[in-house]
Amino acid sequence: MVSRRDFLKITGTAAGTAALTAVGAEASAPHPDLDPDRFGVLTDTTLCIGCRRCEWACAEQNGLPHGDLESYGDTSVFDEMRRPNAEAYTVVNRYSPPAGTQQPLDVKVQCLHCEHPACVSACIVGALEKSPMGPVTYDAWKCIGCRYCLVACPFQIPAYEYAEPLTPRVMKCTMCAERTLKEGRAPACVEMCPPEALVFGPRFELLELAHRRLAENPGRYHPEVIGEQIVGGTSWLMITDRPSAEIDIPDLPNESPSVITETIQHGIFKGFTGPLMLFGILSILMKSSSDKRKEKEDENG
Amino acid sequence: MRKSSIIRLLFLGLILIVVPNLAAGQIVDPKHPKDSKHFPSAEKVTACVSCHTCEKPTPDDPCLVNCPRHGAHFYGHHEVAEGPEIVIIDQLADLYRPVVFAHRLHAEMSNMTGGCENCHHYSEQSGVIPPCRECHDAAKGPVSLNQPALKGAYHRQCMNCHRDWSHASACGFCHEQVHEGIGTAVPDTTDIVGIPHPNITSPPTFTYQTTYEEGPVVTFHHVDHVDNFGLNCVDCHRGDSCSRCHEPEKPKAQKTRVDHVTTCCSCHGQRDCAFCHTEQSKPRFEHTRTAGWALEPHHTDVACITCHGSPRDFRTPSDKCTSCHIHWEVGEFDHGVTGLTLSEDHVDLDCSDCHLEMNFSVRPSCEDCHDEPMSPDRLPGIRK
Repeated sequence: MVSRRDFLKITGTAAGTAALTAVGAEASAPHPDLDPDRFGVLTDTTLCIGCRRCEWACAEQNGLPHGDLESYGDTSVFDEMRRPNAEAYTVVNRYSPPAGTQQPLDVKVQCLHCEHPACVSACIVGALEKSPMGPVTYDAWKCIGCRYCLVACPFQIPAYEYAEPLTPRVMKCTMCAERTLKEGRAPACVEMCPPEALVFGPRFELLELAHRRLAENPGRYHPEVIGEQIVGGTSWLMITDRPSAEIDIPDLPNESPSVITETIQHGIFKGFTGPLMLFGILSILMKSSSDKRKEKEDENG
Repeated sequence: MRKSSIIRLLFLGLILIVVPNLAAGQIVDPKHPKDSKHFPSAEKVTACVSCHTCEKPTPDDPCLVNCPRHGAHFYGHHEVAEGPEIVIIDQLADLYRPVVFAHRLHAEMSNMTGGCENCHHYSEQSGVIPPCRECHDAAKGPVSLNQPALKGAYHRQCMNCHRDWSHASACGFCHEQVHEGIGTAVPDTTDIVGIPHPNITSPPTFTYQTTYEEGPVVTFHHVDHVDNFGLNCVDCHRGDSCSRCHEPEKPKAQKTRVDHVTTCCSCHGQRDCAFCHTEQSKPRFEHTRTAGWALEPHHTDVACITCHGSPRDFRTPSDKCTSCHIHWEVGEFDHGVTGLTLSEDHVDLDCSDCHLEMNFSVRPSCEDCHDEPMSPDRLPGIRK
């Protein structure tokens, strides 16, 4: 008779093999739905002056609570590292200047709008969507508040309105989708940025621009375009003067986490082979054990 | 196929048809406006590719290359006084009142660290500096990703120094927010007109103790370099920030030994170490000591470069007067130009009779020829 342990071993191996075969086949394929001219934003942190006007513009545009423009001149907020939350889609953090120099580094934090977003993949009702033109958008009407997206995001960006028990929403930057997608205008933060440290445009052009800046000013930048490769690429790109780990960008693989999970899931159910195999093995096992039982009964009987 | 892809294909096709018909190198389109920006002079034609990335730039899509940065496209030299005293920046005044920019004051400051090119990274080949808005569009967003719009250009320009200077990005430092009672009228400018940067006082001499055993002392007479050698501040201080003087207590990148040596060597070239490194501190510059003859009284007003070339191309003329005074030939020389008109007794003498071996750097004395000193003034003529 097959023990419970053996049964799990056999079925587990079968399912795993099916899934891994599928991973190998699909992981490297580009995302099919993205427009080649899709939008993006390039943040050049070396140009950022830490004026926090992007925070104000964002709050104003998205109806988030905010004080008047002058109140954003307060630099005491830089005393601690902040994260985007349910009341602010974007925040600017200040990092200390490199040894021997004076200029601190200011880094704007917001949703990076992954090319293959884990939050979209995790959303079971399609409330979060990746627009083919770049932005990752959110539809509160579809959202059931499961908060899988909060867990799935490799950058821990989405926030949840815990303070609104009746109508809670997931809060995150939408790249001002209503402006960018409908009007072709730059997001509010980009339009506001005084030194134009933020640039809005087609992602492929921004990548060219970023690489040109890196090549032309080798001493000024760390030679890496953040968002070009990480988690399979992001629509929002960054160039900065130091390794990404030093501005609290997590060390992540160049492959979207959702590519792995999706391929496992889709692999198992592709052509219904996984379930068919499982049930096939099950029926064979049942048949063999019932045969054995019959034999035993015959012997005894 | 997407619309944009079709347009690109058509564009590519157009280029393929057009390009073979164009002469290699510079493309001069007869329909192209012959303005000074594109054709600064009859001989000089700016190659299109030095500014544009595409073959056929249009006003809507100029496809400009990256902003030509400092010095690369700056011609000529301008005095501080040539520029305007103040500039009112009001092209973007909606949230804030116009910014009153003390241009002359900034030009004076800039003159100490990098000159006009500190901010004006471009000028026409005639030397005319165009206003920022001529290239940097005042539109809300950048026209080309390769160059900032006017707002970005202004802010990058100002904040580049002001952040270093104050570590603050307070908008109110330059801007006054528009609110009730204060409209968009130009603020009062009288308080910043005519305020020059105060004269800078620096220690006349710096004495450095170095670890070089054979000559530990390096003496740098700052006063000589400024007053006697005619150097401008920017010749050495290029790239210094304001806070170097204004905030000496703030941490800053220390100049390394190499930095110092590089600055000195940019003029003094590859001299022996002993030129700077001595055991005792060196005295100030004295022409008599280094050249053998005094500048006084006739050469005090002659700039060093008149005889020695520029500091970066220093040459040592011989100590013969004729190495500079090429018209002083025997027989035609009027001794009066030296300040001493020879008396009748002396005027017909040969030069070498008094200036032994034609060495003019040594002053002749009466005793060289006369047994008794001549009286009453011991001069072979009349001193003017």
